[in-house]
Amino acid sequence: MVRRVLALPAGRLAVGILSVIVLLAILGPTLAPHDPLGTSALTLAGPSWEHWLGTDYLGRDVFSRLLAGSRTSVLGSVEVALIALVVGVVPGILSVYFGQVFEWFTLRIADTLIALPFLIYAVAVTALLGNGIPQAMFTVGVLVSPLFYRVARASTLAVARSQYVEAALISGASIGWIARRHVWGKVLPPVAVALAQTIGIGFVVVSSLSFLGIGVQPPAPTWGGLLASDLGYLSYQPWAPAVPALLIMATVWGSNLLADAIRDVSGEAGRALLNSRRVRARRLDPAEPIPAGGVAP
Amino acid sequence: MAVSTADHAVVADPGAALAAARARRAAGRVLVTLARSVAIFVPVFLVATFLTFALRAISGLSPASIQLGESATPDAVARIEQQWGLDRPFLAQYWSWFTDILHGQLGASWSNGTNIAELISNGLAISLSVVTLALIIGVVFGFGLGTLAAVRRTTWIDRTITGFLTIFSVMPPFVVGIVLVTVFAVGLGWLPAAGYVPASVGTWPWFTHILLPALALSLDPMADVARQLRSGLIASYQENYVTGAIVRGLSPRRIFFRHVLRNGVGPALSVLGWRFPTLIGGSVVTEWIFGLQGFGRFANDSAQAGDVPAVQGVLVVSIVLVVTFNLIVNIVLGRVTPASQRGV
Repeated sequence: MVRRVLALPAGRLAVGILSVIVLLAILGPTLAPHDPLGTSALTLAGPSWEHWLGTDYLGRDVFSRLLAGSRTSVLGSVEVALIALVVGVVPGILSVYFGQVFEWFTLRIADTLIALPFLIYAVAVTALLGNGIPQAMFTVGVLVSPLFYRVARASTLAVARSQYVEAALISGASIGWIARRHVWGKVLPPVAVALAQTIGIGFVVVSSLSFLGIGVQPPAPTWGGLLASDLGYLSYQPWAPAVPALLIMATVWGSNLLADAIRDVSGEAGRALLNSRRVRARRLDPAEPIPAGGVAP
Repeated sequence: MAVSTADHAVVADPGAALAAARARRAAGRVLVTLARSVAIFVPVFLVATFLTFALRAISGLSPASIQLGESATPDAVARIEQQWGLDRPFLAQYWSWFTDILHGQLGASWSNGTNIAELISNGLAISLSVVTLALIIGVVFGFGLGTLAAVRRTTWIDRTITGFLTIFSVMPPFVVGIVLVTVFAVGLGWLPAAGYVPASVGTWPWFTHILLPALALSLDPMADVARQLRSGLIASYQENYVTGAIVRGLSPRRIFFRHVLRNGVGPALSVLGWRFPTLIGGSVVTEWIFGLQGFGRFANDSAQAGDVPAVQGVLVVSIVLVVTFNLIVNIVLGRVTPASQRGV
């Protein structure tokens, strides 16, 4: 599947953007030329050779803060996606097999979590539970998990009630073989799409929270926190929010592109798409549906 | 038509009887939609309020720590907790809290004992005017752009619109908010950067103060509505009945409004219902940027102060808003696209 994603231009672009961001997160804190917390007398300076992106209101080097903050921001969104994956996929698959009571309860809980005004709950729960990064990630992860629940449930239902699985069972196939041969391949692509989407969503939420000063302790740099401190000094440095804002947008865009690319190449439709691309130099089909950005059923 | 007049030959005025029957059927359909939606939303409301109430027990916060500080004796803590009724069993507390909510009483704040319902209703006017304006902007422009892109599909207009919508959809509200402040308030000085003026002072000052926050919130629903509408309309343009209508020689305008729009609008409307919670949540951030004392700001402040009843009040109000909005969306959906009622 990785090779097929890379065959699409959009897939290559998405992987390119995301690997730059991941490199930033891994190497950023060690690459930072200055101490991200070290203040100096040079406040609100413009970009120079010494300070590539200028300094903030306390004279701290913005470029170093950006690099140092990348790890928290990126790790946060990955953690959110992984927590949501575990919290969502497991009940999603089990809801098909564990009987109607369990199914009814998990469905109602998933409905509720979708209906909750996300950011308000994230703010409230994180602040009440003690304003730390783990609390924030856990809360946000649980709040996004219905996406995984629905995706996993829908694809498991499709496989479990399909005739070829029945046929395989009748011909004496073992459960493990069916899981490897049929369930795995059917459940994995939608979950991968949801994972890429969730990384984007989680990234927005984590930066929103850090923008509000929730989930981080004040001097520690994050991309959202950088934007928040720029906001007070816009009349001196109107260009200051540009770089963190562009980085946040690029990350979200990269994960959305990746989600679309995985969706495009998975399944029969994806193989047909790739073949038609090879055959035709340019696309003539006028009605290629735009993949929905929000909830994938 | 001929058949139905023959059936009702006894009735003196077949036209009026037919209209009455049609109105009755429409009203019945709305009632059925309403009942079905209520059946979905009552459990949602119950579970959501339960989760909200459980927040206090999970957080382990107590009014004593706010009122007495860290160095309180266990006796004093116990006395205050008894005063607030926190020594009673969990389910008994939940029950009395829940019945209070049904009567519209959200309790008293831990930090100063004021009535939370009053505090929230002060902020709600601000938040609702911003959210409503954001919804109007999002729906109007989303429908306009989506329709334009679908009608002029695969031209440069379509590609430009789709490109801009992609950019809009990856911009979080707080990034949009900062860009808007930088450009329109600091750079050009056209609109105020922060603050709020009630509508009673004057409509124009009120509008200028809520325009930027509403714009910041509106891009997300706008992009979603436009994209869903575009693909919905394009899909219904390919249906056989549209080809049939073209062959019958109906005007493009009539085909669009009677055949395409009614059948293609469903996904766009339901995505609006999904997006509403995000909109309410986004008000926390925009109110922070634009210095509005709305209820998102109130949620943030009271959460950071550890004032649990105030937070619970805000959460309950937001749940009620979301549920009400989704009920409205469902009813509109049932009226516009009857096919969605049959689960097609």
